Amino acid sequence: MNILIVEDEALLALELQSELEEAGHQVVGQAMSSGDAMELAERTQPEFAFVDIQLLDGPTGVDVGRKLAEHGIPFVFMTGNLKRIPEDFAGAIGAIEKPYSQNGLQNALKYIEIIVKGGATKEESDDPIPPPSLVLPSIRLGA
Amino acid sequence: MTSDRNARQDAQDAGDRLLAEHASEDPFAAAFKATRMPMLITDPRQDDNPIIYSNRAFSELTGYSPEELVGRNCRFLQGPETDKAAIGRIRKAIEEQRPISENVLNYRKDGSTFWNALFVSPVMDASGEVIYFFASQLDFTEIRNKEMDLASARQSAEQKVQESTADLRAALEAKTLLVHEVDHRVKNNLLTIASIIRLQSRLTKNEIAQRTLRSVLDRVEALGMVHRKLFTMDDVARFDIAEFARELVTDVVGGLKRDDITMSLDVSTVLVPAIKASPLALIVNELVGDAVRRGLKDGGGEIHVEVKRLNGHFLIAVSDTVHPVPVDPEEQEMGQLMLETCARQLGAKIERQEQTGRTTVRVTLPVENIAEAGKH
Repeated sequence: MNILIVEDEALLALELQSELEEAGHQVVGQAMSSGDAMELAERTQPEFAFVDIQLLDGPTGVDVGRKLAEHGIPFVFMTGNLKRIPEDFAGAIGAIEKPYSQNGLQNALKYIEIIVKGGATKEESDDPIPPPSLVLPSIRLGA
Repeated sequence: MTSDRNARQDAQDAGDRLLAEHASEDPFAAAFKATRMPMLITDPRQDDNPIIYSNRAFSELTGYSPEELVGRNCRFLQGPETDKAAIGRIRKAIEEQRPISENVLNYRKDGSTFWNALFVSPVMDASGEVIYFFASQLDFTEIRNKEMDLASARQSAEQKVQESTADLRAALEAKTLLVHEVDHRVKNNLLTIASIIRLQSRLTKNEIAQRTLRSVLDRVEALGMVHRKLFTMDDVARFDIAEFARELVTDVVGGLKRDDITMSLDVSTVLVPAIKASPLALIVNELVGDAVRRGLKDGGGEIHVEVKRLNGHFLIAVSDTVHPVPVDPEEQEMGQLMLETCARQLGAKIERQEQTGRTTVRVTLPVENIAEAGKH
């Protein structure tokens, strides 16, 4: 997949990029602010995005998420505080809670790939089991 | 002036007539004169309903002599602060010839004020005509002042409570903000530490260095998961070790990317104080890691994880049926050291059992060792 990383911590972004590339994906860009994120998203048309909530220009990741959803770009949030995600998840597939482990990230990525490639809805995929490292909107609401 | 004097004289005469009707030994008249309650009588049949008689107590209360009082309407007791509405109600009652009681602020001769619990009632003759109004006064200034003091004391107490509550709320808000900020930083730092180790391990060509970095990363990630779970729960002082074990083993087994691993779990919620979370979590991590190193990652097999309470004991057990492969002695030693040290910290006992291809490691500790004794 062509993936956009929206993360204001350069080290975390770099490591995530290495991880994604090792798993056979291409990172089309790293954005540290909401402005950069939208500019990069428009220009590179990624198939997927990882979106941190706290960015250089504040807690603007949620807005980035909503705009990505408007453009039909699937994404997950990456955050240390799940409570900052709005009730409707702003259109995100789910959230990966920081600090995530390498295994947790890889398992989440595998699941995300099936969802994204399997079509717009979960029903069209062959019912993969979401890993515990990926918090889904329904799971959080049920908790 | 002449008519004023005449009117005053008329009032004086009416008072004198009233007194003449009562002999000096009349107990009612004597009581009226001698009582400590200020009282007066007015004559509504004269112009402007003047006072025709007042007792000594009334003069003492108001500072006016009986001579100054007779012939005057009672309104001279009013002043700028007197409640106009109360006066209106009194006037209306007198016009309608019915009794009334009102609390009004009145003024003495020297200009000082007093709170007057006034009672006015009409006095009728045999034919039913109102011939007098009788009025009694009660100075309740002191009571009223006490009430006012009480009310103001209560108000100031309430205000203080409100201020303190606001202060406490602000302090709590600041504390919550601080906790969230620290939590955010700790999580970010843990992930940054893990990311640095991952980056270094990617860069290095040396297999031993890589393995060593992986081994460090494994423990750092376990601690990261502890922190994540700690603050996800609403009660930050407690930690569900069972939920941790479920996520850890699911993550690890998933990360091995093998389809020949059978994973089973027998875990039920065990809440432990946050302070015990790390050593317990590291124990779970070492037990799972041991099974992975001994062969789960190379040849698959079964792994079964138990976390539960058992007869006053708390049990963490991992059992596996891996096909054994040689384990790097350093890794083995490190794993053993981690396990034994954490167990020692918690006063836990480690039992290792190997039979017919199944290895089971049980870590047990008395429930009181993880009880909430040190909870703050």
